[in-house]
Amino acid sequence: MKLTVFNGSPRGKKSNTAILLEHFLKGFMETEGNSYELEYIVNNKDVGELVEMFKDANNVILAFPLYTGCMPGIVKSIVESLKPLCGKQGNPSVGFMVQGGFPEAYQSRFVERYLEKLAKRLNCQYLGCIVKGGIEGTQMMPQFMTKRIFNYFYELGKNYGKSGKFDEELLKRLAKPEHLPAWRRVFYKFSRLTGMANIYWDRQLKENNAFEKRFDRPFT
Amino acid sequence: MKITILNGNPDPDNQKFDDYLNNLVKMLELSDNRVVHFKLREMKIRHCRGCFGCWLKTPGQCIYKDDSHAICREAINSDFVLFAAPLVMGFPSAILKIAMDKLIPLLLPYIELVDNKECHHEKRYDKEYPLIGLLIEKGDDTDSEDIEIVSDIFVRFAIDFRTSSRFVIQTDIPVQGVSDEINRI
Repeated sequence: MKLTVFNGSPRGKKSNTAILLEHFLKGFMETEGNSYELEYIVNNKDVGELVEMFKDANNVILAFPLYTGCMPGIVKSIVESLKPLCGKQGNPSVGFMVQGGFPEAYQSRFVERYLEKLAKRLNCQYLGCIVKGGIEGTQMMPQFMTKRIFNYFYELGKNYGKSGKFDEELLKRLAKPEHLPAWRRVFYKFSRLTGMANIYWDRQLKENNAFEKRFDRPFT
Repeated sequence: MKITILNGNPDPDNQKFDDYLNNLVKMLELSDNRVVHFKLREMKIRHCRGCFGCWLKTPGQCIYKDDSHAICREAINSDFVLFAAPLVMGFPSAILKIAMDKLIPLLLPYIELVDNKECHHEKRYDKEYPLIGLLIEKGDDTDSEDIEIVSDIFVRFAIDFRTSSRFVIQTDIPVQGVSDEINRI
């Protein structure tokens, strides 16, 4: 099976989306004969080329981070340029991958509805949407935790590489938590009180000599 | 009331949409509002790169000196911000979404539980954030499901920006109707 992947992260190759895709694609390639091409939307100056790639593809996965509750602006730009393909015959099957910074999968469920409708608009077979929150946090997670998450992406890719579908059960398990359970809310409040929750940001602010300016309000 | 309008009409040939907003501005000014009307397609706004520079390097401002600074300044000092755009592929235009992404300097990197329930970033400014509304022009492919999806996503945007959405309105109602709606806020 031949797959065309669009990484819609504005961070391009240095994105969390790229890391997740890497694991997914590793799994995908476990099936003999599979191949893929991977395109970074942010690096591409020629929108027409992306549209051609989409048109010629058999199977597409579009992956991006959640930006203010939805797709990043550059991903919307690409979606707009696909307009001439609406309702055409022979469009690829599409699946999506949305990863969010906040831990709850719920936060990505709204754009997921948009994406399903988008597939319908384009007359594409809709494979579903891989949703995972809390991904910015993987930057500071111990390896045993990230390994668990990455393994889900590997398994999903492996499964997809074999069947051409997303495994519903894996999708559900990966997405957890859909909402924050009570114990995590208590834990979070505690870690805020102790300042633990802010370590990730404060460390970077200090490295940038910007810690003292962290609450600046330049526009009042 | 101080009002900021972000006009996300990407198409200079769509004069109808600009006329609609120009009329709205006039009407709002007649009822004693101060209005700033940003025509996004004429502005230089680099898309958000997700670098977090606006949180971690130059807190409160995008590290790129583009026109998003002016938008942030007006928006945070407004009582109401109107986001306006035609729907393209069932969603407000990309140029509007690019401008919306660039409002994150108005937030802090720190995360708190909103309503003791959901994670969102804290406010940077110690004030009530402007209420927001969305004005959309339907496309030839728009159906009621699209409107529902767009409205729900806009409500999520409002929660992210620590405010609330007052309405999602379509340009098929008379301008006066939108003006009345805003004046009621």
